[in-house]
Amino acid sequence: MKRTLQAFLLLAAWVGALALLGLFVQRQLVIGTDLRLFLPSPKTPEQKLLLEGIGEGPATRALVVALQGAEPERLADLSRALTQALHDSEHFQLVSNGEMSLDAVPEDLLPYRYLLSPTLDQTRFDVAYLRTQLKARARDLASPAGDYLEEWLPRDPTLELVKVLERWQPMQEPRREYDVWFDQSGTRALLVAQTRAPAFDPDRQRAATQALEQAFRELNEDPRITMTVSGAGKFSVLMEERTRTEAQMLGTAATVGMVVLLLVAYRRSSSIVLSALPLASAGLAGLAAVSALFGTVHGITLAFGFTLIGVAQDYPIHLLSHRRPDVEPYAVARSLWPTLATGVASTSIAYLTFLFSGVVGLAQLACFTVAGLAVAGLSTRFLLPALIDPAGRDYGHPGLLDRINAAIERLPRARWVAAVIVLLCAAGLATARTPFWENDLGRLTPVPEDLLMQDQELRSQLGTPDVRYMVAVHGQNDQAVLARLEQLEPSLLALVERRAIKGFDHAARYVPTEATQHRRQSRLSDPEQLRADLQEALKGTPFRPEVFEPFAEDVEIARKLPPLTVDRVRDTPLGAGIEMLMLEREGVATGLITFSGVADPIALGEWADAAGPDVLLLDLKDASESLVAHQRTSLLWSLAIASLLLVGVIALSLRDRWRVLRVLMPMILTTLIALAILRATGVSLSMFHLIALILAAGLGLDYALFFEHAADDAAEQRRTLHAILVCSLSTLMVFALLAASSLPVLQAIGVTVTIGVVSNFILALLLTRPAGENRVRA
Amino acid sequence: LLLTWTATSRADAPDPAALVARLARPAPASVAFQEIRFSPLLKEPLRVSGELSYTGPGALDRKVTQPYQEHTMIRGESVRVEREGEPPRSFALKRAPELKGLLSGFTALLNGDAAGLKREFAVSVEGAEETWVLELEPVDPKAHRRIQRIVVNGGGSDPRCFSMLNDKGGGSVMLLGESAKADLGSKPTLDTVLARCRGE
Repeated sequence: MKRTLQAFLLLAAWVGALALLGLFVQRQLVIGTDLRLFLPSPKTPEQKLLLEGIGEGPATRALVVALQGAEPERLADLSRALTQALHDSEHFQLVSNGEMSLDAVPEDLLPYRYLLSPTLDQTRFDVAYLRTQLKARARDLASPAGDYLEEWLPRDPTLELVKVLERWQPMQEPRREYDVWFDQSGTRALLVAQTRAPAFDPDRQRAATQALEQAFRELNEDPRITMTVSGAGKFSVLMEERTRTEAQMLGTAATVGMVVLLLVAYRRSSSIVLSALPLASAGLAGLAAVSALFGTVHGITLAFGFTLIGVAQDYPIHLLSHRRPDVEPYAVARSLWPTLATGVASTSIAYLTFLFSGVVGLAQLACFTVAGLAVAGLSTRFLLPALIDPAGRDYGHPGLLDRINAAIERLPRARWVAAVIVLLCAAGLATARTPFWENDLGRLTPVPEDLLMQDQELRSQLGTPDVRYMVAVHGQNDQAVLARLEQLEPSLLALVERRAIKGFDHAARYVPTEATQHRRQSRLSDPEQLRADLQEALKGTPFRPEVFEPFAEDVEIARKLPPLTVDRVRDTPLGAGIEMLMLEREGVATGLITFSGVADPIALGEWADAAGPDVLLLDLKDASESLVAHQRTSLLWSLAIASLLLVGVIALSLRDRWRVLRVLMPMILTTLIALAILRATGVSLSMFHLIALILAAGLGLDYALFFEHAADDAAEQRRTLHAILVCSLSTLMVFALLAASSLPVLQAIGVTVTIGVVSNFILALLLTRPAGENRVRA
Repeated sequence: LLLTWTATSRADAPDPAALVARLARPAPASVAFQEIRFSPLLKEPLRVSGELSYTGPGALDRKVTQPYQEHTMIRGESVRVEREGEPPRSFALKRAPELKGLLSGFTALLNGDAAGLKREFAVSVEGAEETWVLELEPVDPKAHRRIQRIVVNGGGSDPRCFSMLNDKGGGSVMLLGESAKADLGSKPTLDTVLARCRGE
């Protein structure tokens, strides 16, 4: 590094500017974690629901909690304690262990029990019905449960409230032990905890899981009892943690490797600072650009963005390798600039097309990378030379490099290699048996198989809603949707009967239509009649005649109530269930029917078809796969446009058809090779492979441009070779580390870029170097 | 007569701890019962009889055999009721403070655990060796609102009655062992039954 006051001031100013930028970024940056940013805008109604409604829907928000390891009664005690402790938690909308509590219903809703319970559909409160009910109540009173019911009985001798609460329980009732849900074997107590945060939000999901675990630790006194938490939210936390830990580990290893490589290559510690400055500037500039334009930065953008701008590391390396004592560093930079600028411009073009892909996450990635690369390129050209001390080793001097160069010189300029490669790749692509594209988003951050199995098992025990199938019923307003749901109820029950499904849930199970409520209201006897019938029914029971006056009063109130609406229930503690089953958007009401234990999806499909056009069976797996396919189409279009632009830029810069071909050939062949190797080894391609292919192509272009550029003098050739060796070794190291990752996303990028670097390097040597006879020998 | 009785009883009222220790029965233990339930809702009390059994800490079974079959199991904090011809029902013990009183009072007695009893109740003893009255008043104010007091009558080392009384003039009286066979007449009142428990 230069030891002048001027250089020192520049360094100080640069570092200062970076610090300021860092401060801005830290203030502005909000890291989003919603995976949907990486999905394109939805086109079909199914996709719309998936992204806007159901992505946050009941199935994905439900965590299943299992307690095991002790006697059932102890587990039941803990289940109750947990439910009570989490009742007011800010993280959970609803925590339920199946226990029904009469005092969960607000006082002003109590008289509604007569409009909500189906009892009045079958019978009236006549003498015969009241008498059987009263006789049963006398036995209840003599049982130990009597103490609990005694206070409530005068108001509700038919136990209508209990029937309503029972109806509000899941249809496919799990086994109950000591009043709370258990699995079939009776060894695990089960709870459902509905988080407020959607599953896609790992940060808030983590907070929820932690609250759950803390409550468990505080309440559990039995060291034998263990808790298992399962569900989409838990998985997103788990996978995010794994990705983060692994990325951090690989990042640390890569940094150490990088430092060692730079020290070996340049033998001075200043090279580390010099090569880090443009990279750091690139990262911060990228972050600043994204947070200024988009407000939030997606976690994935951040992770991939930093991987992609790793290319910027190459720019100072080229400058450092080309440094020589007899030339001002600025002159070196000036001579490298056309090549460097072409590289920056062409790589940026590839990413710029992402801006128009219609996928916010990709646009962020593009913005980040383009801003970063531009800043890295410009700072290498205009700032870095001022810091470089021209004295010192000239990598153009003969030495080890010469021997390498000589070996390379002996290599054939094998244009025929291209034809062989094309044939081999075609064969490789043709023999692949796996699907070409990976449509399952889940495969990229896969949850371990055993956890998925466990989740499925717990869900089927509890009868929590199926995460794949769901029905949407559209209507003009809530009432129309509720009416339709009531209409569908008998055919749904028939499906349960046929064992196509085990159960279903929809809003009309909680809140009947106004018409139904009016009908039940009209079946309530008028006060005089009811009191007379009650007196008659009381004969022959041990009850005093006057004690059921509160019952008569409640019935009188119920007769005059305005019907209960969804909105009214929404604001009560009971609203949690309904909230998720009734959506309203742009003047259209949508009711969701969720299913549990879907055994026969075909029968379900036939049912939905027969039900009419307003009843839509959603296959969420299908919808998400079509979204991924849709996203890929837009990505591929971006790529096609990018390729054209790229050829244009290269052609403009080199102005010679053969030179253009020589430069582009390694990149094109490498893309082919990478595709063929991936496909032949059974890999289905995802968005991340495509992004990695662009990165590899950008690297290849850089190598080829520099090989092409260094055509005239031997010392310059050696400097170029030095630069390219350092660049490709460093890139190879970083991506080979990623390729070793256990996480498919990181592995996909690592493998693709590793293949790309090796292939680009070799092909640039074989195909891009100008013919030997044109060269001046050293 | 009453005066002299009270006077003598004060003089040689059994020591609570000694009495409780004497009442201890090793688990499993079981006893026949007749329960008479009084409630302001009722014209006449409800009467059921059967067997009460204690199988260990926190585990109490109440089997009704007359006039119908019913089986109540208390396990820890949970209660399960099975009645012939009806699906079983269960609820948490915390919903039924009376039952919780029965459980903690009864098990502490059967365990001979005077210290445990004193943690939950204010304990007092009156009477003499052959007819004593053990009164338990819940310490927890919330429980106290529902059960005013538990009265255990007995003689020697045998409890005769276990009564739980609330402040609304209701409650239930369990006649235990030999007393369970007693004929209480057609319309017993809480007072007549309690008098019977005192051996009057």
